[in-house]
Amino acid sequence: MADPAFRTGDRVRTRTVDPAHHTRLPRYARGHVGEVVADLGRWPIADESAGGAPDPAAETVYQVRFAARDLWGAGDHHVTIDLWQSYLSPALSPALPPEGEDAT
Amino acid sequence: MSRVNDVGGQTGFGELRIEADEPPFHADWEARVYALNGALLRRGVYNLDQFRDAVERIPPQDYLAASYYERWLLAIESLTAELPDG
Amino acid sequence: MTAEHADSRIAVRVARLEERLVAAGLTDDAELEGILSRTLQGASPANGARIVARAWTDDGFRRRLLADAATALPEVGLSMRGGLKVQNLGVVENTATQHHVLVCTLCSCYPIGLLGPSPTWYKSEAYRARVVREPRSVLAEFGLELPDDVEITVHDTSAENRYLVLPRRPEGTSGLTEEQLAALVTRNGLIGTAAV
Repeated sequence: MADPAFRTGDRVRTRTVDPAHHTRLPRYARGHVGEVVADLGRWPIADESAGGAPDPAAETVYQVRFAARDLWGAGDHHVTIDLWQSYLSPALSPALPPEGEDAT
Repeated sequence: MSRVNDVGGQTGFGELRIEADEPPFHADWEARVYALNGALLRRGVYNLDQFRDAVERIPPQDYLAASYYERWLLAIESLTAELPDG
Repeated sequence: MTAEHADSRIAVRVARLEERLVAAGLTDDAELEGILSRTLQGASPANGARIVARAWTDDGFRRRLLADAATALPEVGLSMRGGLKVQNLGVVENTATQHHVLVCTLCSCYPIGLLGPSPTWYKSEAYRARVVREPRSVLAEFGLELPDDVEITVHDTSAENRYLVLPRRPEGTSGLTEEQLAALVTRNGLIGTAAV
């Protein structure tokens, strides 16, 4: 995916991968949909840097906002988490046809 | 795999213990550990992500039983175990 | 083993580790002392308080701070540089309807350069586990009861952006100087576990 792939306001879904290595996507936020509220710039990917890579790849980090109700089924608050781009994929509205298909 | 440090949303950790006006370090050894970590990071012996990784890989029971700076000590010991003794 | 006994055994381990690292030429006493004194003297909640007091009295600075905190910080003689790792700063502003609170659920990330070392409760599993899930009741334990119509946002510091809360200016403070205003700001206010 090209970097930066997302803009403020985009809805994104976090990956569900449970890696064996160091990562910075908390378990409570895996597989959830949130809204991008800020582009925090490019940063070396923590997962790679923790492996000792001398020149780890960098990606855009996004501040993503989640509703507590979505994360835990309860709560009237929101949680923001700062997430590397490869932790995220677009969350398409179910009303839209998948990319590439005819609208008709 | 999910690690012991990843505690967001979990229950069972008990009450918050809020110490009023607490000092930055509760013992001299804590301050030494803090400074040692700073020096090793600055020297490039390991980076901050490797340090966090080392803390996270402390066996869960030891992680939970250890105080904050004791976890740092465990992590630094494991990261520097390979170094010669000079 | 008593707590004191355990503590002295750890102190011995720390001393041995330090000896080994000094012998390996990786550090020395002067460097270690320097790191400690720089942290203890240069970094404290007084820095955060100074930022807040300026933001309360200078609306242009407040807007610049909210738009790009790292660039605005030098206006009050502070900087995000000089740390071990390049980090950025995001300032989040409390309002009549929004309250912000900070955490690092994965470890203990905290704006040490601006606030000094973090309090033990901030680093505890109890705080890190609960505040993302039930912030209102956690804040109540700090003595902060927020009205129901105030929305809470918890910021989990999971990357290299650090956050600072800009608390609301208390009522009845219009006559105070910037220095007097800074004295009102507490560390908990800058983390979001107090109103100011």
